[in-house]
Amino acid sequence: MALIEKPAPIAVPDVATPSSSYGVFRRPVESTGWKSWLFTIDHKKLGIMYGAVALFFFLVGGFEALLIRLQLAGPDGTILDADKYNQMFTMHATTMVFLFVMPMAAAFANYFVPLQIGARDVAFPRINAFGFWCFLFGGIFLNTSWILGGAADGGWFMYAPNSSVPFSPTSGIDFWGLGLQITGIASLTGAINLIVTVINMRAPGMSLMKMPIFTWMILVVQFLLLFAIPVITVALFLLMFQRNFDATFFTVEAGADPLLWQHLFWIFGHPEVYILILPSFGIVSEVLPVFSRKPLFGYPLVVFSGAAIGFVGWGVWAHHMFASGLGPISVAVFSVATMAIAIPTGVKIVNWTMTLWGGKLIFTTSMLFAIGLIVQFTIGGLSGVTHAVAPSDTQQTDTYYIVAHFHYVLFGGAILGIFAGLYYWWPKVFGKLLDEKWGKWNFWTMIVGMNLTFGPMHVVGLQGQPRRMYVHTAARNGEGFFNITFWNLVSSIGAFILGIGVLLFFINVVISSRRSEKAPLDPWDARSLEWLTTSPPKEHNFDVIPTVGHLDEFFHLKYEDRGEGDHHDFQQVATAEELIAEQEANADEHIHLPSPSYWPIVLAFALPVMAYGVIYNLLLVPAGAAIALASMFGWSLEPHTASPADYDPPAPEGGAELEVSTNG
Amino acid sequence: MADTAVQVAVDEHGHDDHGHATTTGLSNNKLAMWLFLGSECLLFGGLISTYMLYRGRHSASAGPDQFWDIPFTSASSFVLLMSSLTMVLAVTAAKRKDDRNTRLWLTVTAILGSLFVAGQVYEFTTFYREGLGYTTSLFSSSFYTLTGFHGVHVSIGVIMLLAAVGMILKNRIPGDKAEVVELIGLYWHFVDIVWILIFTLVYLIPA
Amino acid sequence: MNRLVKQHQKVSIDLMPTEPTTSRSTRSRLCNAAIGLGAATVLASCASDAPQDTWAPEGKYAQDIHNLQWPIFMIAGIVGLIVFGVITFVVVKFRDRGQPIPEQGHGNALIEYVFIAIPALLLAGIAVPTVAGVISLNDTDDADCVVNVTGQQWWWEYDYPVEADGTICGAQPTGEAAPIITSGQMVIPVDAKVVIRGTSRDVIHSFWVPKLNGKRDMVPGRVHTWNFQAEQPGIYAGQCAEFCGLSHANMRMEIVALDKGDFQAWIDNQLEPYQSPEAGTLAAKGEETFISQCSRCHQVDGLTDADGELVVSAPEQFVWSGAAPNLTNLMTRNTFAGASWDLLTEDAREAVWEASADEFGALYLEGVTKGTLNEIDLKEWLRDAPSKKPMYTDPENLEDTDGKTRGMPYLALSEDQIDELVAYLIERK
Repeated sequence: MALIEKPAPIAVPDVATPSSSYGVFRRPVESTGWKSWLFTIDHKKLGIMYGAVALFFFLVGGFEALLIRLQLAGPDGTILDADKYNQMFTMHATTMVFLFVMPMAAAFANYFVPLQIGARDVAFPRINAFGFWCFLFGGIFLNTSWILGGAADGGWFMYAPNSSVPFSPTSGIDFWGLGLQITGIASLTGAINLIVTVINMRAPGMSLMKMPIFTWMILVVQFLLLFAIPVITVALFLLMFQRNFDATFFTVEAGADPLLWQHLFWIFGHPEVYILILPSFGIVSEVLPVFSRKPLFGYPLVVFSGAAIGFVGWGVWAHHMFASGLGPISVAVFSVATMAIAIPTGVKIVNWTMTLWGGKLIFTTSMLFAIGLIVQFTIGGLSGVTHAVAPSDTQQTDTYYIVAHFHYVLFGGAILGIFAGLYYWWPKVFGKLLDEKWGKWNFWTMIVGMNLTFGPMHVVGLQGQPRRMYVHTAARNGEGFFNITFWNLVSSIGAFILGIGVLLFFINVVISSRRSEKAPLDPWDARSLEWLTTSPPKEHNFDVIPTVGHLDEFFHLKYEDRGEGDHHDFQQVATAEELIAEQEANADEHIHLPSPSYWPIVLAFALPVMAYGVIYNLLLVPAGAAIALASMFGWSLEPHTASPADYDPPAPEGGAELEVSTNG
Repeated sequence: MADTAVQVAVDEHGHDDHGHATTTGLSNNKLAMWLFLGSECLLFGGLISTYMLYRGRHSASAGPDQFWDIPFTSASSFVLLMSSLTMVLAVTAAKRKDDRNTRLWLTVTAILGSLFVAGQVYEFTTFYREGLGYTTSLFSSSFYTLTGFHGVHVSIGVIMLLAAVGMILKNRIPGDKAEVVELIGLYWHFVDIVWILIFTLVYLIPA
Repeated sequence: MNRLVKQHQKVSIDLMPTEPTTSRSTRSRLCNAAIGLGAATVLASCASDAPQDTWAPEGKYAQDIHNLQWPIFMIAGIVGLIVFGVITFVVVKFRDRGQPIPEQGHGNALIEYVFIAIPALLLAGIAVPTVAGVISLNDTDDADCVVNVTGQQWWWEYDYPVEADGTICGAQPTGEAAPIITSGQMVIPVDAKVVIRGTSRDVIHSFWVPKLNGKRDMVPGRVHTWNFQAEQPGIYAGQCAEFCGLSHANMRMEIVALDKGDFQAWIDNQLEPYQSPEAGTLAAKGEETFISQCSRCHQVDGLTDADGELVVSAPEQFVWSGAAPNLTNLMTRNTFAGASWDLLTEDAREAVWEASADEFGALYLEGVTKGTLNEIDLKEWLRDAPSKKPMYTDPENLEDTDGKTRGMPYLALSEDQIDELVAYLIERK
């Protein structure tokens, strides 16, 4: 069943390009069927694939979490032995961070950034596809470790020297390091792609300060990725050389300093947490105004605070290292810097609240998730402020209090924002709405589950339960009914409730897809340009690239201010349907879209080949490198659009020509 | 030839392959290359920091003083520096659509770059024979990792240069030829600047 | 782009409720707030007497941290309640009741600046005592007592050096002074500034006894100093707080504080010369078994072999991290195997742990006796240590650790040997 409307046939481009690729196989030009997905370079299809794979890994990571909570439901649990437990919590975190939240943000960014800025695709569509396949292959590669000797067991932060071979002899950590290198390439190429797209491909009239807020947050995130990924790349290379080629970067006997790893990791790791949260902040900044029926309060300051968070976020990494013996001056400096970053974050909370203030609030599921984020993230943010105080942090760090903090900001922040986006944009992507009743059950079950799971962790952490422990024991759990043992049980029950909540989302997806009613073009009476399209959008997105005169351009196309002076009176002058019809009547005549290609997936395939080579047989490394080199040549020599000879039967004459300004 | 249309006229106002204006006037490809080089700064920054941390961790008899041959390394640095000059010549030739000289200077740049890499290989094999292996000490591991990454970057640059020569010869560069050469030039200059930094910090400034 | 002009039209969206949202929605929003408040109340009922409770400080430094910490929690809590209150209010007051499209306000500079200034001032206020706290907590000069602490997978070693003036941890030994090496329970005098000089022999660990102070990482290749000062005699529970591998959860410790007199007695007892068991007893057989089975890793000071030679252990040959606990006076402490199990029976343990400050010292100094020994756990340990405490994933494959074990290996001891060893060990006081 095709989820995407079949595009209009692509006519022969009138710009003659070198006629044939040097590939062995015919260029894939199918517009339907599995090939149209496998070889696609369309940002929308890629966005859907990113989202689908990310949601799959969400289930994997969630399953890992449930096993952890089963083990910790009672004292001295026996569900997982120590070794399995260490693998489980390492992979749970790694999966959630790298294989769910980041790619989910990429899904939204890929699908909606071009639409929000009035573009027809991203700057480099083939690189975009390459990034997706890197992510998929990297994620699969990482998880094959489970059946190839054991997964990584050093924690997602992988501190040295515990990550060295004598302390972790299986290949698990090698899978982890190499897998993250591969997914890191996806992030880096995606970052370059999206930055160029946002900077260079905006619709006429769309200055940066008229750009939708979601796109702004994505832009900040891409800059963070651009500069943070190379740092963890260095760390992962050092680790790989240590483990596989006997380097001594983290061997204390040779004079190494274990803190080198910590610094490199956290210089990446702290911007990483802003990479995780800012997209959801962007989503929520879109959703709240729509369902409050008024603009985002203080848009310039929301933009500026997002950029400030991105910038100051580089200066606080050592707050993850307050107990590691940095010395009082460093600790004091980082402590104060960490407090500083609470200010722009607080600005956002104020601005969201003031957006709601005086509005006309409509509580759709998407809106519930967005408001849920404000409440839950505030809790996480405030507990964060308590550990910015370095002396307190020496009691809190490495306890469940920290686990509570980051799950509130990650689940209550990043993930609730993701769900707000899913419910909000689903009708645009798939042409059908998600059911609102199931949605509300989804929301409330997740809220109850989330708070039951992570709320008690504040208490057990402050009462002395350290983290990363495969068992907790009665001897340290205190007296009384509401002791640490009790709250661990509550957390575990909460986790299963949370799991049910997540399941309700997937049930909603299945049920809603079975319904036949199509969604209206503009079900929420939204404000930004991605809604000035069909549902789902045509392959070329816009029949006419709009000229933008305002922030919230789509709102201003529909509503005209009939008031005078300071008194405003917005009256509707057009519906989405009418605007789309107008576009279709004046459709652009020369629209060229770049053609699909198989080079991205072939090049991406070379990477796990090399990675397996590092672990098992070094001969695979040059073999993979050769595939990579050949693919890069094939790719560069391939023209952007397919030639007539690639179509079989020959391409039809006539029809609208589609043209797009893209490279890559 | 049928593919004269490939050479879409591109003026200085940053249009992309299909002649569409970009919002800022910068070409997409050029912006992408600058961003990529920005991320590479952090990559080399991490490697250089690691080296600076570990530069002193070696036995008394196996430190930089025992191995560095400053005159030799200065010579190969000069070669790399000259390759940046020839790169500039290639770019100017491409800008005035002089295919023959573009290919000439690209080839010379590739040769100089290969000379540099050959010099590195010679240097490292000498060090190895003299007792500075990859795993000998933290100093040696960091040194080889840093300069190794740089060497790989130069080698990839050489491949790009030669590929460009081939593609210009076969007239297979889609879009703006001059821009492609310019982009390779940006990369090449970056790699050269990184070397200047490495040469100064690693070789010239005493540990 | 032509504008299609329509007649004045109120917005109507099919899926939005056009009638005012029902009270059900209001109730569910209030429900949200109630959950929050309810959770807060419930969470206030916690464990009483959790041994590692960071909110029940008992030592000077933990108290300093707590004095800094709880006002900030209060402020955070108040801010949180204000935010929830405002959200709840907004969600009730401004819900869709059929009102027209609201004012399309874009912001208000005054509100923005006020709400930037308020948190900035609050945080500046918090920053000052924070920095002061950081500096004072890091002041490890002028120690009354210095103990060298070494973490290794998965136990803690304490080395009490002899200072230049002949004292050990601030006490002048009655007899001849020599360094004291123990593990598991670190014994210190009360009202003394105890500075530990901590490191690790393998991976990063973290020394954390919450009721006395925050945690400090023990990093191989580095020495970190950290302070403890107990105000009352007693036993203070702690745990390794940096993930260190398989048995991170089983790497515990306690700090035991004794008043001056008891501490003196403890020091003197630790320095008492070795006493062989009486000939012909089970314990004497145990001494032989100990020499043959245990002494290559475990040091007992003063132990001599059949030839009268001092037995010196060489754990660095057999254990990857290079050391094993010194068992000279094992029964003067009451936990073993990284303080993961008690040497005392349940009742005896409770008596010691629950003792009042006056009684504690005497009770602790009694140590473990035949009557109070927890034979079950000790024998299980001797029978098969790795199955009791996970220590290495594949005991058959020691290639990656050059043939050395990590922690205590499986020794295939017979039941007789185990009985002998227990009889021998019970006399190690």
